[in-house]
Amino acid sequence: MKKILLPVLIFLVISGYAQTRINGTVRDAKGEGLPGVNVLIRDSYDGTSTSIDGSFSFSTDEKDARILVATSVGYKPFERPVTLEGQELRIDIVLREEVNQLDAVVISAGSYTAGEERRRTVLKPLDIATTAGATADIAGALNTLPGTQKVGETGRLFVRGGDGNEARTFVDGMLVLSPYGPSAPNTPSRGRFLPFMFKGTSFSTGGYSAEYGQALSSALVLNSKDKAELNQTDIGILSVGADVAHTQVWGKGSASGKIQYTNLRPYMDFIRQRVDWINPPAALEGTAAFRQEIGNGKLKAFASLSETDFSLYNHSILDPALKQSLDLANRYRYGNLSYKTELAGGWGLRGGLSYSYNRNDIRQGNSPANETEKGTHAKVVVDRTLFSQFDVHAGMEVIDRDYNASRYNDTINQVQYKGFRETIAGSFAESEIQVNNRLVTRLGARYEYNSLLHQSSLDPRASIAFRPGRRGQFSFAYGIFRQSAPNAYLSLHHELLQERAEHFILNYQIITDQQTFRVEAYLKQYKGLVKFMNSDPYQIGSAGTGYAQGFELFWRDNKTLKNVDYWISYSYLDTRRDYLNYPVAAVPTFASAHNLSAVYKHFITALKTQVGLTYSYASPRTYYNPNLSRDQFLTDKTPSYQDLSVNISYLPRNWLILYVSCTNVLSRNNIFGYEYSALPDGNGQYPARAVRQPADHFLFLGVFITMSKNKSVNQLPNL
Amino acid sequence: MKMKTILLILMLGAISEIHAGDEKFKQVMISNIDLVYKASTIEEYQSAVNAFDRIAGAEKNRWEPLYYSAFGNVMMALKATEAGRKDEYLDLALAAVTKAIALAPLESELPAMEGFIHMIRVTVDPGTRGPEFSMKANMAYGKALQLNPENPRALALQAQMEFGTANFFRSSTASACQMNESALTKFAGSNAENPLAPAWGESMALGLRVQCEQTAKK
Repeated sequence: MKKILLPVLIFLVISGYAQTRINGTVRDAKGEGLPGVNVLIRDSYDGTSTSIDGSFSFSTDEKDARILVATSVGYKPFERPVTLEGQELRIDIVLREEVNQLDAVVISAGSYTAGEERRRTVLKPLDIATTAGATADIAGALNTLPGTQKVGETGRLFVRGGDGNEARTFVDGMLVLSPYGPSAPNTPSRGRFLPFMFKGTSFSTGGYSAEYGQALSSALVLNSKDKAELNQTDIGILSVGADVAHTQVWGKGSASGKIQYTNLRPYMDFIRQRVDWINPPAALEGTAAFRQEIGNGKLKAFASLSETDFSLYNHSILDPALKQSLDLANRYRYGNLSYKTELAGGWGLRGGLSYSYNRNDIRQGNSPANETEKGTHAKVVVDRTLFSQFDVHAGMEVIDRDYNASRYNDTINQVQYKGFRETIAGSFAESEIQVNNRLVTRLGARYEYNSLLHQSSLDPRASIAFRPGRRGQFSFAYGIFRQSAPNAYLSLHHELLQERAEHFILNYQIITDQQTFRVEAYLKQYKGLVKFMNSDPYQIGSAGTGYAQGFELFWRDNKTLKNVDYWISYSYLDTRRDYLNYPVAAVPTFASAHNLSAVYKHFITALKTQVGLTYSYASPRTYYNPNLSRDQFLTDKTPSYQDLSVNISYLPRNWLILYVSCTNVLSRNNIFGYEYSALPDGNGQYPARAVRQPADHFLFLGVFITMSKNKSVNQLPNL
Repeated sequence: MKMKTILLILMLGAISEIHAGDEKFKQVMISNIDLVYKASTIEEYQSAVNAFDRIAGAEKNRWEPLYYSAFGNVMMALKATEAGRKDEYLDLALAAVTKAIALAPLESELPAMEGFIHMIRVTVDPGTRGPEFSMKANMAYGKALQLNPENPRALALQAQMEFGTANFFRSSTASACQMNESALTKFAGSNAENPLAPAWGESMALGLRVQCEQTAKK
């Protein structure tokens, strides 16, 4: 037995003392030595950190075939098999940069991302809520960004010379029809979705992904919050109503609901309005959200219901004593179900279904009319990351819209109907190739088949971003975008072609921790716009054309001044259209050449108060004057639009917020345009009436209370 | 020799081998814990973190190396000046703690460390992250104290959090300071019989005591 044991013992002794020394250096691709790199023998204690010049040296007791590993943040791990047999080894290592989200160049042409707060973003979700003048309206806040034109009488987003209906809204990737609430003629409407529901917002002013179709000028992509973490109840008491919300959390899911009632009557009795209300708007809105984690998948369901009613008198321009009542009842339902999961083999799958229902019942004098739009959108998308740098995503979708309108025509004593049912089947594919941390390209295409036209189309999309230095980056985006003609025309003429826009965008941006600078130039060409033939509104076709071009600047800084965050955006727009009843190409009435916004937010710690100021300027807009000759079409211009809004949020306790906001504190008499009488007066002139703000100011007061076991929670993110 | 004896020798050898391994783990851990506590620059912390990462790679069932790796990363996050960098360190810290919690789900030090990571996350961008991450931090501290009400670090960290919040809202810091005092009592009472057990945090609590005294004077 001794004979057996002896060699074993000798072996043990030898193995104990035969150390191997390993020397070398770790450098990056440029040959610079990398300090602090962890160099080790896998699954052992042995290893070291590289010194300041990237060199290393250590001894190991490990033997035979092992794996040497070198790791460092921001670099791909290095691995090499080594044979350890007591002889000194020299190993020189080159680490390759890892393409990671934090450092990598991202395509920024045309898009403003708010949210995903881990990435450097231009806007944060909270910004939407705390921008003065926006009164917590998503569109209101986005209207302080470059690329938007202020069209104060609508409250909607108008992007780069595009009409209001060219900007489409998506919630969790699913289309939303009628995203704005109803409003009286020439008064601003509010978005139906409150910013607190979303963790991230991506506002694209052009050149967006092939995933988003049926949007000519802009895609507003809202991503709803994930599962809530805490039970809480929120109560809001507003100058125009009240709301109550509750969130309940369980193991892998959460549900929340909110009911809001607003009635503008007390407010409008108090502050004089230019609208002759019979019943000011009253609305009952309810939203519910449900979240459940299933395995590694996430299921989200969201529903929104609202009922709004109002009535008012429209006064004749020719004789203001003559008036006619206008009654509107709006019923809106929106539901959205989405699911996202990771499949085996690195595949990701997401899909969703949305349903929008919007009905307006309108009574003008004794003539009733109604309008209903129902839309269903179903989509499935798969994506996969290959080799961490090559990303593909592809999907299919169906958008079905059913639009019907009827109107009692009292001159012919008949009810007239119009409508359409349109089904668009779309599919898209896109690849994103991250060549390295400095260069990324995205190529894609979108195919659509339209059931009304029996036509199919293929639209290319491409973008590229390049970062030459450490911070600044250039991006370029190109794409062809299409959208069905507006409902009012398509319902009468099913043969109208898709309206099309071609975007070219060049962007440069520098984002550091607390400062952002962006400059962007673009050209957009329109084709296939609705156009009256021979100025006859019953003969319409798709021969309209147009262009929009311009440049935009954005600067945001929350570094220079302590507790102060401000941004300035400027947009220059040159646009003309030859569409609808235009006799010549002209600047449309919603376009303004210069738009400027300055947003200032100051948190005064001693007062526990945030004060916000927003100044907006829009240069004069054209308006149609029927008293002018044909060659003077749209040559008259309104005065410029200017507004200074203020908001103050006061946090006396961490569960209580008092909020006050007021628009147009300088009481400027803004004129958005002129309406003309349909009939001329005694002198053969058409008299005009200015389209003005419904009131000089909009004053809003709110008290927000949060009840939760956790003391550090309040509604600040909801405001 | 009989077969039994051979077996016995082999078994003893195996046991001593295990024992030696255990001893090595302990020794290497102790020397690196010493290093991480003494570190003051990012380089020194990185070097200690690298050592803990190596140990964690070799000792796949031990939570301690992951815990100290997280601690070192949090310290680097505090030292780093750029927000993106801070986040990178905090991401690594969170990944290590999450791994450790899977190994030792009942260890109260781990959720305490998780809360610490969330709390530092808040300081990177308080306006945006305050609500979400202060809530997460509080939940993690609550978890830690549920597992071990005597954990002085969990208590001291929660006191820091409450003090900061109370200070922000100008409300009374009394309860935060009281919590900090009870943490200090627990620090004094905690006997470090296990050299691998976390022992940091007392000076942080002492620092808060000074702040509390200053606030009380005003």
